[in-house]
Amino acid sequence: MIPTLIDKQDNFEIVRDQIATILVTEVANQMTLATIAGEDPDDWELRIFTERSNPWEQFLNEQTDRSPLINIWYDNSNFVPSGSNISERQETVGIFNIDCYGYGKSADISGGGHTPGDQEAAFEVQKALRLVRNILMAAEYTYLDLRGLVWQRWPQSITVFQPQIDAAKVLQIVGARIAFKVTFNEFSPQVTENTLELVSTTVFRTEDGEIVLEADYEYPL
Amino acid sequence: MGLRETAESDLGSILEDSSTGFGVPIIVTDPNGTIGNLIGFSDDISQVIDPDTGVAVSGRFATVALRISSLTLAGLDLPIGIADASSKPWQIQFDDINGNTFLFKVSESNPDRALGIVTCQLELYE
Repeated sequence: MIPTLIDKQDNFEIVRDQIATILVTEVANQMTLATIAGEDPDDWELRIFTERSNPWEQFLNEQTDRSPLINIWYDNSNFVPSGSNISERQETVGIFNIDCYGYGKSADISGGGHTPGDQEAAFEVQKALRLVRNILMAAEYTYLDLRGLVWQRWPQSITVFQPQIDAAKVLQIVGARIAFKVTFNEFSPQVTENTLELVSTTVFRTEDGEIVLEADYEYPL
Repeated sequence: MGLRETAESDLGSILEDSSTGFGVPIIVTDPNGTIGNLIGFSDDISQVIDPDTGVAVSGRFATVALRISSLTLAGLDLPIGIADASSKPWQIQFDDINGNTFLFKVSESNPDRALGIVTCQLELYE
């Protein structure tokens, strides 16, 4: 029997949460940098979520915050026997989907013309993709700030989903997905050793260079 | 009067009756700024949008149905979706049942020239 309670997070959970933490931290930092640069910080805002599966209500009706939504969710893992050992460590290649949602609303341009909502939604989601990829692939996060645990991170693919042609809608939403591949280690519970005997030893070097080990222990006679 | 003409004239009482029917006042503005005050059907309901990510997005679906002959009388052509960003779109404005006013642009129109009715699919406009 395994004698200890398995109350730890697996590393795929830690990696997923780390991706979210990096994005939240860096988006806030980018907004600060944008303010310093005299730009509108809202153009750098992303709203980050993890493992959400309920329909998004954020875009319903007249929303004031139209910044893109990001949902990070764990998709799958493959275990690599050649990089693992049979007792403790499993090299894992995990896919984390980073779904981005862009919102667009058609708007009048006072000087003439208008901004089409479908185009705005596409631009918004592409902005989100740009920010997410640049942040996660920045040199600062080569190992996602989890050196020793993460071996490699890589954007495996980016897919933008075309809106359905026959589903004309009041609100323009475009979705996109970054399949983010992370190679890391998973660890499993190990046998806890029992102390059989305490032995104290002293190592001497004698005058003629001989190494002598002196052990002091008790044993039943 | 043939049946088609009868059906078209019936639109006046079916589609444009705002006192005892389902007709509501609808303001139509064409890309040149010509405004027509018409009566027609409006629809504005919730809709689930699937952007193919596996997580749906709550949204809205709005349409209006207008009598083509009334558009003509108001000096308007058939509304169409305007893709060109340098042009103004066809705009539609109406109130919901609680008196809240919403402005939309026409994203797509489906005219039924046999019966004389056009249904416009809308998207929010500001």
